[in-house]
Order: sequence, then structure tokens, then C-alpha cells
Amino acid sequence: MGLFDVITGRRKLKQPAPDRLFAMSTAGVTLETSMGLHSSGKAAIVFQPLATADFDAILTDMEEVVRGTGEDTGTTVDKSDDQYGYRWMILADPDFEDLVVGVNGVSTALQGGGYGERILTAVFAFRDAQDRHVYWIYNYKRGTFYPFVPAGGAQQRDSERELRLKAQIGADLPVEAELERWFPLWGIPI
Amino acid sequence: MAVVMILLGALYVGLVGALLTSGVNGITVALIAGGLAAFQLFGSDKLALHAMGAREVSPQDAPELHAMIERLCVQADLPKPKIAIAETRMPNAFALGRSPKSATVCATTGIMEMLSPAELEGVMAHELTHVANRDVMVMTLAGFFATIAAYIVQFGFFFGGGGSSYGDDDDNPSFLVLFVVSLVVYIISFFLMQALSRYREFAADRGAALVTGRPSALASALMRISSGMERIPQQDLRASKELSAFYFFPPGAKSAIGGLFATHPTMEKRIAALQRLEGQLQGQA
Repeated sequence: MGLFDVITGRRKLKQPAPDRLFAMSTAGVTLETSMGLHSSGKAAIVFQPLATADFDAILTDMEEVVRGTGEDTGTTVDKSDDQYGYRWMILADPDFEDLVVGVNGVSTALQGGGYGERILTAVFAFRDAQDRHVYWIYNYKRGTFYPFVPAGGAQQRDSERELRLKAQIGADLPVEAELERWFPLWGIPI
Repeated sequence: MAVVMILLGALYVGLVGALLTSGVNGITVALIAGGLAAFQLFGSDKLALHAMGAREVSPQDAPELHAMIERLCVQADLPKPKIAIAETRMPNAFALGRSPKSATVCATTGIMEMLSPAELEGVMAHELTHVANRDVMVMTLAGFFATIAAYIVQFGFFFGGGGSSYGDDDDNPSFLVLFVVSLVVYIISFFLMQALSRYREFAADRGAALVTGRPSALASALMRISSGMERIPQQDLRASKELSAFYFFPPGAKSAIGGLFATHPTMEKRIAALQRLEGQLQGQA
């Protein structure tokens, strides 16, 4: 944000950062082979649904497109709204690469409709050897990934595990450098 | 609030003036004035939180408020601020802190009970926009410059006034004249500051509407709060007037003499601006 924006207080909403989502498809292999995390076959993309007529139309089109490509790749699509008013498009596919492609399809459709700034995050769900949930969250505004490991119990996260995951993944993923931006998402529906 | 702020400013200017006339050198005076402004900038947020009876809450204490603000932070591309709750029935919210990294956002228990989640989200987005716009910094600096302006007037009189006629005692302005002139300068800058504050409230409303994508939710929050404010006992309002520049909705706004004195625009104007935004949003179709 420039000095002029500070003085006038007229900020614009940040558009998505240059897309680094596909770093996940290659990193998925590393996660599987050397870190013992296997995909639970689901991913989700989270955005703010706006109450405007054209937004509804774009959503309907987007769902049709994703469902259409899903018939070829075997990806199924579901949606749900969380208690804070955000919409989750939930994709299920045993093939991890198809999940990344599906998530990218949703975000491309929203950006194409001019609503790219409404996309918050994409979430990729994994299970470790003990069958515990491990999530990798992609922040669209910043183009970075960060790990999120719920620790059981109310609003508890396993920060130690998350930091270890960051060290293990190394340079395979662009990991968010500022720890205060590792925003948790409680009650992830996947 | 307005009278208190004018008096405070007058006291500040008077102090600097008195220090100057009593022969303390200019650099020391500048240091003291700067020191007070620095204290305002760096130390006042803890003081203000304490004065409001607010306490910081963990994600376990207030999971929903935390989750709501975290999502807004992702959307507004901000680091997460500290979150505090003040135990008072008065429905209000405010933001403190000179930079986004050291910011605190506070909501009262009253506002959390009164508003629906979407409305509360609008209010919190308004406060986060204050944080993003660095409004505490801007207003503190503006206040500091106002004081400097008055100080320069004094300084000019003190050194320039007698420049052309050495030894002629009658030409030197008395302390009273000096004081009155700097006071006038101060009062003018005071009104400019209030205008700046009102402008930044509009900017924060606009920013909040952008972040949530729901201008009408914020407008409805404003309406609900303003009708709620009238039902709240007067003691609550009086006890909390000092902090009103930081508030989402100024207590006792109805009794303000005129728009000039107000730190916030009137509710009608804010709602009208939000409705224009909603119109633009819908007009994208």
C-alpha cells in the first residue's frame, strides 16, 4: 500500500496473487512419498458469495463447467455454506492432480467473472499415518501455502507439527513466511 | 467530548507557551512536545483498553469472533490483530494501535448481543479498515501537527516580533496576545482534525463494504446501533465519552451541537453512502 493510499484511506480490495496453486500438484508427490501424508481425496475452495444477480449466474455457470469436466476426470462437486457466510465448493477425487485442476477450475471461473477478489483460500485435506487430519491451506491473496493441524479440543492447533511440516516441505511449496498469517479454519467440512 | 478536546489542546499549547516564556530553551520545549506525542502514539492503546475495561480474549474464549476476524483478515490481506472484548452493554467497537502489526480490535459485549453475525462482521471490517488505513497514526500525527502549528505561531511572535525594533519594549506582544493567537490557530486546526476524522470514517465504511461485499449489512448495523444507543442508560454514555474518536459509533452523538464538532458523520449520511455502494455493487450486472 502506497503513501497516497494511507493518506486518502481509499484502498482497493487485493486481487489474487500470481497463481502458485499448481505448486501443490508436484508437492503432493513429496508429501506422499517422504512425509507420510496421503490425500484424503478431497479439496475445497472458500469464497464469499455476493448477493448480486450476476454473481449467482457466474456461480451456476461455474458449477456446470466444473461438473462437466468432472465427468471426464471423475471429480465430484459439492457445496456448503459455513456459519460465517462463506461458501465452500468441495471437490472429491481419488486422483490428487485432478483435485488441483478442479480447484483451479473454480477459481478461474470466478476470476473470469470479475469476482477473483472474493476468493479466500483453497484447502487440501491429508491424513497422516495415524489417520489424523493435516490440511494445507492456499491463501489466494498472497499466493502462499501454510499447514494447519487441528489438535482436537476446542480451537487447539498443533503448532509444533505445523512448523515441522514447514521445515520438511522445504522449497517444494511457497510457504507463508509470516506466522501471524497462518490463519486457522475451524470446522473444515472435508 | 469536543469541549474537553479543545480544553486539552489549549492546555497543551498553554504549557508549551508557558515553558517558552519562562526561558526554557526551544529545543527542550520541542522535546517535551514530541515526547507527549510519542507517548500518545506508543503508550495510549494499553491505557485506552484499560480505561474501557476491555480484556484481550483467546480463540478459546471467543471462537466465533476470532474466526470471523480471521476470515476478514485473509480477505483484507492483514496480519491478525489482537482481539479484545469490553464488558459493557453499550453497543460499540473500536480499533487501537499505530500499525497493523500492533493493532487491537475491541468489541463490547453489548454490540455482540445486539447485532446479527453479518452486521457484526460489517462492524469488525470497519474497524479492520481503520487498522489497515493506519487511522490511529494519522490522527495522532494530525494532532501533533496542529500543536506544532500553534507552536510555530508562538515561536514567530517570540523571535520575529521584536526583530525590527530592538529595545522598544512597547512593540513586544504580551503573553496574552501570544496565547490568544496560538489558541485561534489551535482551534482552527481542531476543526480541521474533526473534519479529517469524519472523512476517515467514510473511508472505513467504504473499506468495510468492500471487504465483506455487503454494504447493506453495515447500514443495518448502523441503524440498529443508533436506535439501541437511545435506549441505553445515560451514565454509561457519560462514563465513556472520552474515547469517542476511536469508536465505531460515537456515544451521545445526538446531543452534539453541530456537525463541525463531530468526530463521526451523521448516521443518515453514512447510510446514504453505503446505499450508493450497494447500488454500485448491484449495478455490476
